[in-house]
Amino acid sequence: MSNNSRRDFLFKTSYGVGGLALSGLMPGGGLFTTFANAASLVDPLSPKGTHFPAKVKSVIWLHMDGAPSTLELFDYKPDLIKLAGQQIPDSFLNGLKAGIRGGDGKLFATDRTWKQHGESGAWFSDLLPNLAKHADKLAFVKSSVTIGATHDISILKLNTGDLNPGRPSLGAWIQYALGSANPDLPAYVVLYNDKKEPTGGSINWSSGFLPAVYQGTAFRPGPSPILHLDRPELIAAAQQQGSLDLLTRLNRVRGAHYPEDTELQARIRSYELAARMEVSAPEAVDLTKETDATKALYGLDEDITKSYGQTLLRARRLVERGVRFIQVVSGPQDIAGDSRNWDGHNDIEENHRTHSKVVDKPIAGLLADLESRGLLDSTLIVWTSEFGRTSYGQSGTGRDHNPWGYTQWLAGGGIKAGTTFGQTDEVGLQAVGKTMDTYDLHATVLQLMGLDHLKTTFLHNGRSERPTVVYGEVIKELLA
Amino acid sequence: MRHNFRYLILAVFLSGSALAAEADADKIVKSAASKTSSTNKDWSWQPVAAPELPAIQQKKWARSPIDAFVLTKLEEKGIKPSAEASRAAFIRRATLDAWGLIPTTAEVNAFVNDKSPDAYEKLVDRLLASPKYGERQARKWLDLARYADSSGFQGDQTRPNMWRYRDYVINSFNEDKPYDRFIKEQLAGDEIYPGDNSALVATGFLRGFPDNSNSRDLVQRKYQITTDITDTVGTAILGTTFECARCHNHKSDKISQKDYFALQAFFANVSAVDNIPAPKGPQEVQFEKAQAKWQEATREIREKKKAIVDAYRSEAIAYLFERYSADTQEALRKVYVPDSQWTARDRWINHRYGDYQTDDILANFFRDNASKDAKDYKPEYAEKYAEYKKLDDELKKFDKIKPAKGSNTISAMTELGYADAPPTHVLFTGAFDHPLDEVQPAFPAALTSEKPQIVPTAFSSGRRTALANWIASPQNPLTARVFVNRVWDQYFGSGIVRTVSDFGRAGDKPNNPELLEYLASNFVKQGWSVKKLHKEILLSSVYRQSSDYREDAYKADPENKLLAVFPRKRLDAEQIRDSLLVASGKLEDKVGGPSVMPPVPSNLNAGRFWEVSKDTSDWNRRSLYIFTRRSVPYPLLDTFDMANAQQVHSKRDVTTTPLQALTLFNSDVIFGWSQALAGKVISEAGASESAQVDKLFQVLFARNPDKEEKAALIAFLGSQEKLIKEKIKDSEGKLALAVPVGLKDTQQLDPVRASAFVDLVHTVANSNEFSYRF
Repeated sequence: MSNNSRRDFLFKTSYGVGGLALSGLMPGGGLFTTFANAASLVDPLSPKGTHFPAKVKSVIWLHMDGAPSTLELFDYKPDLIKLAGQQIPDSFLNGLKAGIRGGDGKLFATDRTWKQHGESGAWFSDLLPNLAKHADKLAFVKSSVTIGATHDISILKLNTGDLNPGRPSLGAWIQYALGSANPDLPAYVVLYNDKKEPTGGSINWSSGFLPAVYQGTAFRPGPSPILHLDRPELIAAAQQQGSLDLLTRLNRVRGAHYPEDTELQARIRSYELAARMEVSAPEAVDLTKETDATKALYGLDEDITKSYGQTLLRARRLVERGVRFIQVVSGPQDIAGDSRNWDGHNDIEENHRTHSKVVDKPIAGLLADLESRGLLDSTLIVWTSEFGRTSYGQSGTGRDHNPWGYTQWLAGGGIKAGTTFGQTDEVGLQAVGKTMDTYDLHATVLQLMGLDHLKTTFLHNGRSERPTVVYGEVIKELLA
Repeated sequence: MRHNFRYLILAVFLSGSALAAEADADKIVKSAASKTSSTNKDWSWQPVAAPELPAIQQKKWARSPIDAFVLTKLEEKGIKPSAEASRAAFIRRATLDAWGLIPTTAEVNAFVNDKSPDAYEKLVDRLLASPKYGERQARKWLDLARYADSSGFQGDQTRPNMWRYRDYVINSFNEDKPYDRFIKEQLAGDEIYPGDNSALVATGFLRGFPDNSNSRDLVQRKYQITTDITDTVGTAILGTTFECARCHNHKSDKISQKDYFALQAFFANVSAVDNIPAPKGPQEVQFEKAQAKWQEATREIREKKKAIVDAYRSEAIAYLFERYSADTQEALRKVYVPDSQWTARDRWINHRYGDYQTDDILANFFRDNASKDAKDYKPEYAEKYAEYKKLDDELKKFDKIKPAKGSNTISAMTELGYADAPPTHVLFTGAFDHPLDEVQPAFPAALTSEKPQIVPTAFSSGRRTALANWIASPQNPLTARVFVNRVWDQYFGSGIVRTVSDFGRAGDKPNNPELLEYLASNFVKQGWSVKKLHKEILLSSVYRQSSDYREDAYKADPENKLLAVFPRKRLDAEQIRDSLLVASGKLEDKVGGPSVMPPVPSNLNAGRFWEVSKDTSDWNRRSLYIFTRRSVPYPLLDTFDMANAQQVHSKRDVTTTPLQALTLFNSDVIFGWSQALAGKVISEAGASESAQVDKLFQVLFARNPDKEEKAALIAFLGSQEKLIKEKIKDSEGKLALAVPVGLKDTQQLDPVRASAFVDLVHTVANSNEFSYRF
């Protein structure tokens, strides 16, 4: 057993009189029990070191739920436009044996205007005019690949690296490996701009086989983002403080019988933290102190962008407060009378026009805002989706799912801005050359956080597990 | 046109007597089990052998062989065991362990004052005889069975029958069903005990796999289901990480990829069957009544909906068909050819597909082809879709009279009426579409030389019977060891093998091998009686020790591996919630039945996934009756590390977080219970505040407060009263106060002082001592 797995083995199994005694000094989630020094507080979220210096402190993970067609946004394919309406030549379908079929097989294009932007000359369609202004901040991955034919399994893979539920999400790994930089807030927060929870729910921010303490905390829309954050209705703040004082006293009196019990001591501290969180969490999401100019930057002054803009402004505030991983799930919009996410099987024109409008200004605003505050260099922004969409059409007005070649982008600290990695074939269906799978994306994100994905391990049922399962390679071409 | 296996299979179950002859297969396998190879095996793969009792010095201390095995290790190190815990501490501990609840003050007093020599034994017998014992032990098993009331994945559909399996588990523990039989029923109850409904429900253990209904590659789906089942059985029952050998040969244990897929082959032919009629009891009658009412009210709408689809059914089916992977399509095409040309895999895929092809799914055909450019476009489709949607919205209005819970059917895992099974292949790197050599069902070669004796039944391959007989055999080196170790872990916070689900080389070695051998061999000798195992532990001197800190013991054995001190433990999520319900007198004591949905915080936003039970008595049921929605874990329990239902949950984590503090301190539900507890305490203790705090401590901790605590509590009432008065002043008297509820006589009560008392109660319920068992 390697040193690392021995350490996390101890972590996993050391429940005894000494409780779960941890020291926060080992890098990358390497934790060890210090029974000889049990006076140290039990705190699974205490900050831990990195494997090598981190490029960024926080990640904002922008999940475009439903899978946008990047053929409508970034992946300009003149041949696709030229051949639209024709049956897709068989040569493009080589190797597509598993996964979905269906669709009408005719190449499909929407009516777009394409232009190159910035010094990098990156292509953007007319759907993302605001984001296009930041072309030189982005590093595109045009050869993204994944597995799966349906949203749920591919979303799971995007977040956890597996098609079945049960593995920890990327944010959980990061929280486990690095702990929290701000004890008054969770280190892994999930934001969404819908009236209800994102589909698939908490398994996409689950801690899987890691202890539950590492799961993402959903920050709900509204002034009170965390469940049970508000005092019971009839209890005043001073009254609760009085109760808290009594609680601490009772716990200390009784705790004297168990002088070496760090777990009991940690529980006393957890109430003090909770009291601070009652104040810090609503403050973190309170936008009233933001200037009108900032609000306008995120599109809070327009109905269409308000909800997503608020979510991203919250994300920036969380970055400022040291939250390490912020997972933002885009919500559905009213499209052709239905509530739809980016899943444009039909009416992709209206679908993508609406969804692009919803995210374009807020994301551009986020990039500008982070830059002007000097935060862009220490923050990683990942624009991602569970898969892309096919070059051939479906239902005449939409596109089907495409796990074989689609675009994602990264921006921020440590990123080689203004570059493009990889490409798809002439019609944008399959990646050609070097590809990036979800595992590679995870490895790259971890790398930027200062973590070696091969050394970030946790012993579970006899296996030394890592975030990238048995795969993954850092995409060096994306790194500055 | 479509083969309907669901009915086919039913016919087989109803004529179970025809299968009696198959039971003989059982005997054949048993005789084969005696052949065990013993070459170069790891400790956990060696046959279990009853060890000799060790010689010990403090003979008086040892009440049972368990004690002797523990004591001998202590004596080797020169550590003394701890003194006995007080009787009150003992009954709180034992009741929490056996029932998952704190005892009532009456129960505590009866035990503390029982002067008879067999007081402890009477207590333990009473605990084990109560249905609450089965409820607590069932929860432990359900963790392993990755039990849920929904399918998981994005759709996360309700599985309306799974509670029957949960009740089966509760009843099995309460009846003290022998563990070997318990295992056989869950793995192959349909084959081994034909005609026995409860054994059919038992296969819910296999049925619990997470599933996504909209999968378009049913070959891949089948593989994922079989993988889940194999890994669940391997981890939960055999405590072995067989799944490590799915993509490559096992890195630490002698399990090859071939061994792994040979294990999968035992499950190659199982299918989920969810519409087996349940025997009619009051629940079923009530369900059918409500359902009939809904059906009557909605008949017209549903017929109209159906008529719309009927007119285009074959086009819609063909369209849906196009959306599947090539392999899946090949199987689905078999509906047009005679039975004789069907393979077992065709049957599996068509059975599975049949469950998915609802009218609502087919109606998407209209939506997807409403545009002129669509492949199957017809001008009327836009209108048809609108019409269908309108009817559907209309139908939804009747949801409120739809039965919200319950069912009249059983869910089982069984086979489809044929003895032949689909082939199983070793898969290159575990990828479903990269088959290598075909394998036959076999036990892992390095573990045993025994070969499965597979005798097909009239409706199934008989494969699972062979596997169940091997696993549930006294000769199996893992089954008994793994289970007794789990029970030990439950009582002492740590297993004898600390990696409770990994008895392989990467796992921990037993820290007291003789004790494990004793427990395992004695368990089998006592007819796999789980209650006898619990009883022996509960009555042992080891279990009776005090948990008080001892500097000498701590210095000699800081991790307390040798158990010189009883290890205190944070309560499980369910123990916390259920004990608060007991304390406040609000626990709804009903055993079994469909799962319930108590209220959740309004900002949870779970939508249709969490429709709060209308019957408010459902809100205060024990936690194991709360609906397990895979994508929406019940927040109150989730915060306290409840089991994750996605895969086998081997051991509850203990984390200490501010979110837990927020939950216990701020939840309106829990605060309401504190108000009820305050009322109960005042009713029982009378007007004296000193008596009230004594009572409160008796209820929550089975002890009285000491002087320092009492002084702090009484002083708090004064200071809190002042704070509340200031609050009233600030609010110009318009403020409502949280007062004790459930009081018979409120005339004597000063509302401000009473409100301060509620705060006191709520604070004491939040203290460390409540959330731990010492």
